Amino acid sequence: MTASRDIARDGPAPVTARAVSARGLASWLNSSKGLGLVLLAPAMVLVVLFFLVPVVVTGLIAFTNMSTATGITGGAYQVSPSALRVLTDQHGMGALAERLGQPTYTVDEQGLATLEEMGIEPGIVAGLRERHLGETYSSRREFERAIRALPERPATRTVKRISAAFSRSLANERFASAGALIAAAEAVEPDLDAAEKQALVEATYTGWTWTSENFRRLATSRDTERVFFNTLFFVATTLVLFNTGYAMVLAIATHYIPERAAGIFRIIWFLPRISPVVIYVLLWKWLAWDTGFLSALLSNFGVRPRNWMLDSATNAWVFVILINGFVGASMGMVIFASAIKAIPQSLFHAAAVDGAYRWQQIRHIILPHLKWPILFVTCYQTLSLLTSIDQTLLSTDGGPGGATEIWSLWIYHTALNNYAGNLQYGYGAAMALVLVVIGITLSLLYLRLFNYNALIIKPRIEH
Amino acid sequence: MTPRLSKTAAAALVLAMGAGGASAQNVTISVWAGGSGPNDNYRVDAIEMAADILEREAAIRGETLEITVDKKLDSTWDDFKQAVTLAAEAGNAPHILVTGHEDIAPWAQSGLIVPVEDYLNLDAWPINDIYDNLMEIASYGGIQYGLPQDAESRPFFFWKEHMRAIGYTDADLDALPGRVEAGEYTLDNVLEDARKMVDQGVVEAGYGFYPRPSNGPDYWQFYTSFGGVMEEDGKLVFDRAAMQRFYQFFVDAVEAGVTRKNHIGTPWDQWYAEVASGKAGLWHGGTWHYARYTNQEGLEDFFGSIAFSLIPAGEGGKPNTLTHPLVYVLTAQDNEDEVAIAAELVKIASEPRINTLHAIKSAHLGIAHQQSNIDLYANDRWAREATERLLPFANAMPNNTDFGTYWNAMWSGLEAAWTGQKTPEQAVADVEAELKNSLGEAIVIR
Repeated sequence: MTASRDIARDGPAPVTARAVSARGLASWLNSSKGLGLVLLAPAMVLVVLFFLVPVVVTGLIAFTNMSTATGITGGAYQVSPSALRVLTDQHGMGALAERLGQPTYTVDEQGLATLEEMGIEPGIVAGLRERHLGETYSSRREFERAIRALPERPATRTVKRISAAFSRSLANERFASAGALIAAAEAVEPDLDAAEKQALVEATYTGWTWTSENFRRLATSRDTERVFFNTLFFVATTLVLFNTGYAMVLAIATHYIPERAAGIFRIIWFLPRISPVVIYVLLWKWLAWDTGFLSALLSNFGVRPRNWMLDSATNAWVFVILINGFVGASMGMVIFASAIKAIPQSLFHAAAVDGAYRWQQIRHIILPHLKWPILFVTCYQTLSLLTSIDQTLLSTDGGPGGATEIWSLWIYHTALNNYAGNLQYGYGAAMALVLVVIGITLSLLYLRLFNYNALIIKPRIEH
Repeated sequence: MTPRLSKTAAAALVLAMGAGGASAQNVTISVWAGGSGPNDNYRVDAIEMAADILEREAAIRGETLEITVDKKLDSTWDDFKQAVTLAAEAGNAPHILVTGHEDIAPWAQSGLIVPVEDYLNLDAWPINDIYDNLMEIASYGGIQYGLPQDAESRPFFFWKEHMRAIGYTDADLDALPGRVEAGEYTLDNVLEDARKMVDQGVVEAGYGFYPRPSNGPDYWQFYTSFGGVMEEDGKLVFDRAAMQRFYQFFVDAVEAGVTRKNHIGTPWDQWYAEVASGKAGLWHGGTWHYARYTNQEGLEDFFGSIAFSLIPAGEGGKPNTLTHPLVYVLTAQDNEDEVAIAAELVKIASEPRINTLHAIKSAHLGIAHQQSNIDLYANDRWAREATERLLPFANAMPNNTDFGTYWNAMWSGLEAAWTGQKTPEQAVADVEAELKNSLGEAIVIR
């Protein structure tokens, strides 16, 4: 029982029901649990909006075949040549496809009546009846030529309306709903059976459908393994060498040098993080291009100029890891340095008195005190490296030959970048979902590994 | 009544009401063009010129029509396509798009674009003067979805001075385009000559054959050169042997030291500066490169410095070039009236005289027969020679929803083989596996 709750309970008795609820609310707010929830609420809203909702939506899209071609908001039913081919090849309904899909324009009384209803000028209707009644055209262009040759030549928009009124097939028609499609199909072909209707609806649907195909494709694609190991290598190497390793070196080094010099040193190492990423990567490119600094410098020693960044897979990895690592190291450095500062100076003095070397101080004082910051940095940076895309996209774009294609970049290339305009949202989302699962699994693993509960000190005041 | 009919009827009703009531109409028509550099401004400016004409036509009919054209040029393709698709999903698509013809298939399926033939009389001027093959490329499934905005083709280039240095005479150079066309000068000769240039120190190692530094339609030409076919009867085709010969060619070029292993990813600015200044011996590009070489890069005597031809044949194939026409397409809008106006605008913008402004300024090829009767076009040596020498042999990529997936796989295989990550055999096998996996029955593998 908390102290605050006790106070609330000991208060004067409520007078009215309204006061009771107000008092209840106040007492609930006064309790640390209630207040905690209220204070956490904004964070919860943010978590839901920016984590849970995107993850759920990604999860849903991952089970669709959504792409630019299918659209996101839903599809229509179009009797296109490719739909007719599906009807012929996959459903064996070639004859039906032929009857529905062959453009046919027939000048008949039914069509003429429609024109009259539409308010088309009587002269035009009369002209059509007189000259073309009973004729059939298999091309819209031909029929429209005939319409334009009438004595009263209609305007282009009217020609389009007239030809539509005489269309007796579904060739290239687009319907908003399956019902409309079937109704129109029955007008052309009255004896459709259920199987034919079903096949027609399936073959002509242009929108996305639910499928687990993306995961089968991902599991069997040869690229998956390659990109997976690329990502593993990238994350592990950058994390160990730079984001924690080098960050720790920097933090400890600056701990042992005079305060002022240490400050300047840290600021310099902060530059990669605070400079705009495009400019930062451009500087690296200038360094590495075959007309860049490295080539210019080395050409003095007889080394042939080359694009050092994309010269080989090894070079590309060195650059990708350096570019990402220099940005990542600064964060670890700041966190570790401040954690080292928080260690009581007396420990260092005592160790010095006992004759401990620097290395012994690091090994027995600093590192044990840094367990929690190391967990935090490792965990945070693993996730951030897994999803990191900007530096790699701007520097190698996954090259040379896909050697530095990492998972997040692969998602981008699949879902948001296609030369021929057909972006594969569904497949990309399936890839992203895999990344989310990996991220969550790793986080849980880290918490377990570092014994999270032991690291949390329970607030003593509550006990 | 079919949906299209009812839509058209509704639109006509709106038009009729507009005509009956106050006839003043103010509309803003937005046009976005992708992959457009500083020389390509007439892609969107033509719409503005068309708007002026349409306003005057309306004025003569006694209507007041005021059109504001909202123009946007995007220098990249990836960002442009991303922006267009996302804008369309959000319901903010611009009225007119200038894009590659290959976008028609996916965008038509998704309903992002509407057929121009629903709004235009295809027998009317200037549409009836546009080359039939270009009109065909701007259609999908027999429906005219777009109007060609420009045409181009992608020649193979030779730096004459370097060719002379390895023993070609001026007469040889003049005969070269003909020999390429006849299939006598092949991609084997390309490697041979490039190697001579490197061995004799005429160009630096890696600069003998200096291909396009990034992914692009150009690479399908080499697949075609080695006998590959992209599509047959509406189905994509993956020709294993042709693909392997095509990959092998680039691997051979790297091994011979005439092409750099790390060539892909070379910055475009550097690339243009190098090929326009004679740093490379043989390379390939596009007809629009003429404008870049002679304007930005300061190449003064183009015809004295550079010879051009079709892409030479390889084993099992024929010499060819690829045309990748950009097209004007109309997006689906709530306001049918605006779509109809946009349709009129792209029609007028296809006027040979207006299109010639774009063709000559950007060094693209014309879209219509009559352009050869316009002095600006006919007096331009580049437009004339490139049209005659290249356009009759031009292929185009198929309008097929799955082509993007095929293209991505082809490119990743080429990149992997070129940079030595995989052997050509492995790369082809991986592309095949990937295509079977992703496209299944939609692609014929042979």
